[in-house]
This record gives sequence, structure tokens and C-alpha cells, in this order.
Amino acid sequence: MIRFEQATKYARTKGIKKPIIEDASLTLNRGKSVGLLGRNGAGKSTLLRLIAGAIKLDKGRIIRRGKISWPLGFAGSFQPSMTGEQNVRFVARIYGVDTEQLIGYVKDFAELGPFFKAPVGTYSSGMKARLAFGLSMGVNFDYYLVDEITAVGDSNFRKKCQAVFETKLQESDIIMVSHSTGTIRDYCDCGVVLEKGKMTYYENVEDAIRAHDKNMKES
Amino acid sequence: MGYLTTHFRVVGALLVREMATRFGSKPGGYVWALLDPAAHILLMTVIFQAIARAPALGTSFALFFATGYIAFQFYQAMTGYLNAAVKANKALLSYPNVAPIDTIVARFVLQMGTTSLVAFIVLGTIVAIMRVDTNIHWPSILEAIGLACLFGLGVAMVNCVLFLRYPLYEQVFGIVNRPLFLISGVFFLPDSIPAPYRDLVLINPLVHIIMGFRKGFYPEYRAIGLDMDYLYGIAFLTLFAGMLVFTLSRKTLRNE
Repeated sequence: MIRFEQATKYARTKGIKKPIIEDASLTLNRGKSVGLLGRNGAGKSTLLRLIAGAIKLDKGRIIRRGKISWPLGFAGSFQPSMTGEQNVRFVARIYGVDTEQLIGYVKDFAELGPFFKAPVGTYSSGMKARLAFGLSMGVNFDYYLVDEITAVGDSNFRKKCQAVFETKLQESDIIMVSHSTGTIRDYCDCGVVLEKGKMTYYENVEDAIRAHDKNMKES
Repeated sequence: MGYLTTHFRVVGALLVREMATRFGSKPGGYVWALLDPAAHILLMTVIFQAIARAPALGTSFALFFATGYIAFQFYQAMTGYLNAAVKANKALLSYPNVAPIDTIVARFVLQMGTTSLVAFIVLGTIVAIMRVDTNIHWPSILEAIGLACLFGLGVAMVNCVLFLRYPLYEQVFGIVNRPLFLISGVFFLPDSIPAPYRDLVLINPLVHIIMGFRKGFYPEYRAIGLDMDYLYGIAFLTLFAGMLVFTLSRKTLRNE
């Protein structure tokens, strides 16, 4: 369960203050995967980072029950000067999982070949995505926070994602950001639309997509 | 309890990461972190020995210079490395487990260990090769090292925040910090400076650190002007300021 209680967060850049969420209260229950919809710059990625706990709210609080992954996107949380393997080792250490086992899993999944031992800075975005995805799937979380990751990569990678997600979804939930409503429809049961600092929850993902489409037409 | 174990795990992981990547691309790896400053200090010592034969203290110029320079390095190398601690690990901060302070702690531990080993290598070499008679007083040495590290930590914690907020300050700090080596009493003893200027020189806390460190090697050194109360005051005040600024700027450190 993830619960927002009167949560407020402003984005501040160079003197411009813009609300991401304002006084928002919402409960996301276990057992349902959530699609997060909203226009460009609405703050979907920031919202994921808030849920992960990587950044803090300005006001209110978020109650988290269960293990939540870091926000997993193709831009990556990787240190570019470290090799793929070193990055995997680092994550294994900070989450206290078996290092060699995780390395084995990610190596198999990401299929980077010799690049696994090259600095992540030399990777293409597709390679980063495969590494990021394999890495997070190798650690067991109750919630996986996914930021547009399936948007990169070839059809082969997408098939792989789908297969892994299907096994993971039996015990875990996804909170996913995507501009592709097709992807959201494929993975998610319910939806949240983020618009002008307001989060609206829809029990049915189709309703969320419809509301989002309507918002897009209005602007 | 859970929080504490996570922090220990993260600091451990960051330590390994720093050691693996600081000189990772070169053959020899972390050995260079020791060899580089050790060779630098030994070379400087040889050069200055050729210029100035008579040391202000004792009989060996090498030991005189090296004790000053190493005490200075405990501060200088610490801030140099720690100033960039948060910036250099920015990508890793996207893991909610990793807090900005963890990067500081990891680099602090690593740098303290590294400079200590360098000191051991350099001073050991000088004492062994030049057969300098020394009568080492450990408490003075350890006290000076500890204060140098804590003072450096405080300065670096302030810098981590201010460098991100005011890029101009980073330039200014670089300019002001560079000649510090010349006025901190590495080459000279502040004791021998005439009255009005001596008080000016003694404002610099690094002068006191170097004097305290040298006292551990030269029992006959009287260190006139050494004010440990002043040094403790400045070091802990700076550290407190660093912690305060660092805590208040959590958002700047995470978001940027």
C-alpha cells in the first residue's frame, strides 16, 4: 500500500515555482498495477521519485508499506564512469542481496556481452535500458517504479520485458509512467491522471486513458 | 536499527566504488592514490633541500619540510577530494537508499586512511634513509591529524552545498585556496616572524595544525603562539556549520 496524505510538492527552477501535486490524498492498494498519465512536464517522473523516497515532499507525507524499487528509467541511475558490472555490484551491496547471483542474472538478461565490463558512459540508451531493467528485476521488490523504460529497445527487448513482468506481476505491482497509452493498457489495471497539481484516481485504466486524452484535446 | 545497517552498507559500497574508480582505469589501481602524493612529497622535499640547506628545526631539512607538508595535506587533500563528493556521485543518489551524507562519510574515511598511509610511507622513508634521530610524541601528532581532518570535513561540507548553489564561489575558493600552502607555515616557523605579522599568520588555523603536528616530531620545539583552544574552536565551529548547511540543503543536494 502507498498512501499520500495531503502531499504537496513544488518544482522550483530558476525562480519559477510550479506545483507537481498540491494537497493530494490518495491510496494505492496492493495487487493493482497503476499507470501514471499526464502531459509533458506535469511531473510524472518527479512523482515517481517522491514515491521512491529519493526526494522529499514539501508538505504532507507518503506512507509506504512494502519494498519499493528506485525509479527505473533509461536515463538511468548509473554512474557513467563505472562499468555495468560495478554498477550492478553497487546495487547488490546497497540493497543487501547476493552480489554474484545478481551479476549472473543481469548478465544473462541484459545480453551486453563484453560491454558488461565497459563503463556505462559508453552505452547506447537501449543498452542502458536493458541493464537498468535486468538489474531491478534481479532484486525483489513489492513495487516496481517504471519510467518510460519500455519505450526504448527493440521488439526483442519488449518481448523480454513482457515475459519478466508477467512472472513478476504475480507477486509485485508496477507503477508505470508512459506516454504510450498502449503500453499502459498492456500492463496496468488502474490509472492516475496528473493534471495541474491534481491526482485523479481511476479504478479502470480505460477511464484514466479517456480522461487523459480529453485533457490533451482541451489544451 | 534498520536505518543504521543500511547506512553502513551504503557507505561500504561507496568505499569500494571510490577505490575502484578513482584510479580504476590505470594499471595498479588504488596504489596510485598512495604513490602519487608520496612521490610528490618526496620530490618536493628533495628540491627544497637543494635550495635551503638549514632547516628551522632539527638537523634534517627533509624531515622539517615533510612534516609541514603532510600536516597540510591532511587538510588540503581532504577538502580537495570531499568538495566533489556529492557531485561525483550524483547519479547514485537516485537510489533512495543512498543519502548525500553517505558519499561524504565514505570519502572522508577513505581519504583519512590514504593520507595516513602516505604519511607513514614518506616519513618512514625519511627517518629510515636519512637516519634522523626522532623522538616521536604520538598524542600531538594524532591530535593535529584529527583536527586537520575534521576542519577539512567541515569546510568541504559547506563547499559541497555552496559549489552547487553559487558556481562563482567555486572559482573564488580555488583562487583563495591555492596560495594557502605558502602562508601556512610549511617552509617557515611562525615563531620567527616579527610581531604584527605573526598575529596575522596565526589567524590561519592550518598554521596551528602544522605547529601541533611538528611538536610531535621535535620535542624541543616550543611552538610559540600555538593555541589549541583556538584550533579546537575553529575546527568544531566549521564542522558544525558544515553539518547545519548540509542538513538544511538536502533538497539542493538531491535534486540538482
